[in-house]
Amino acid sequence: MGRKRNPVEPGEFEDPLSNYDPPVYADELERVLCETQVGQMRIQPLACVQKDATVQEALDVMKKHTCSSVVVKDAGKAVGIFSSRDVLNKIAHDPSTRPKPITAYMTSDPQKVYASDSPAKAINLMAVGGFRHIPVLDVDDNVVGILGPRRTTQFLEEHLI
Amino acid sequence: MGLREDIMTETVEQLPLRRALTVTPETSVVDAIELMRESQLGCVFVVDAYERPLGKFTERQVLKLICDCVPLDGPVEHHIVPITDNGCVKLTDPIARLVQGMQETRLRFFCVVDDKGKVVGLTGQKGLMEYITEHFPHQIKAQQMDSKLHMKSREGA
Repeated sequence: MGRKRNPVEPGEFEDPLSNYDPPVYADELERVLCETQVGQMRIQPLACVQKDATVQEALDVMKKHTCSSVVVKDAGKAVGIFSSRDVLNKIAHDPSTRPKPITAYMTSDPQKVYASDSPAKAINLMAVGGFRHIPVLDVDDNVVGILGPRRTTQFLEEHLI
Repeated sequence: MGLREDIMTETVEQLPLRRALTVTPETSVVDAIELMRESQLGCVFVVDAYERPLGKFTERQVLKLICDCVPLDGPVEHHIVPITDNGCVKLTDPIARLVQGMQETRLRFFCVVDDKGKVVGLTGQKGLMEYITEHFPHQIKAQQMDSKLHMKSREGA
């Protein structure tokens, strides 16, 4: 039930939030999806290569960090992403690609989220948009982390059982 | 009912399952990769003559082989990850069983089998995310896809 409002005298200031009722969530997971931030999820460690790297250098980074994607950076900004799906689609059948520039094989201008976005937005991108790895940016558009399906489901599981 | 109750009562059958790709142990790595590429799926199950799962071959194995410069013309059976009980769910299992398996194993792909143990589908991390999305459509599907930060800070801050 809403709060009872006192009548406001003409000319009197009324705080627009004075009658604000916070949303009521049916489920703890629903609250977490809407009220927490991507920055509160596990978005590190983050594996990166510079945009002048070769495919082989990107593979070496993925092997070293046992990760399935690397963010391709230029001056701190994410200009591309190279993932195990790119390896499957573009590299596996053609060994001659190894010395070539990563920019030719990465996914350019990847979909991103901000650390201040809600987890619901990241899940929308993954479950509906089909993006598996999403770089996380700060307010200055610098890449500060990455979200993948493993980290996201881990976050969901914590509030599921 | 809340999501917690739903995952206890709803079964794996109600998840958005994907068609499982299956190959025999003798299939070459190259052919398994080609099948994954054509289907745009990151996993194939290696099955026996009764289509029961022996193991799986995933994008992760492909990445390892490529990083280690391993020739890809050998049989896929030499590079599979065995499927344990934790990596397999039945159609009739509650979804909670899948979530528990994910917590314990951190696996991306789960093999879905029928009562006879035959492979009938594939699910995993994406399947769980899709299920949660359908459960909270107003919270998740209503989100914009673009990645534009409209304001760097609150006005007047």
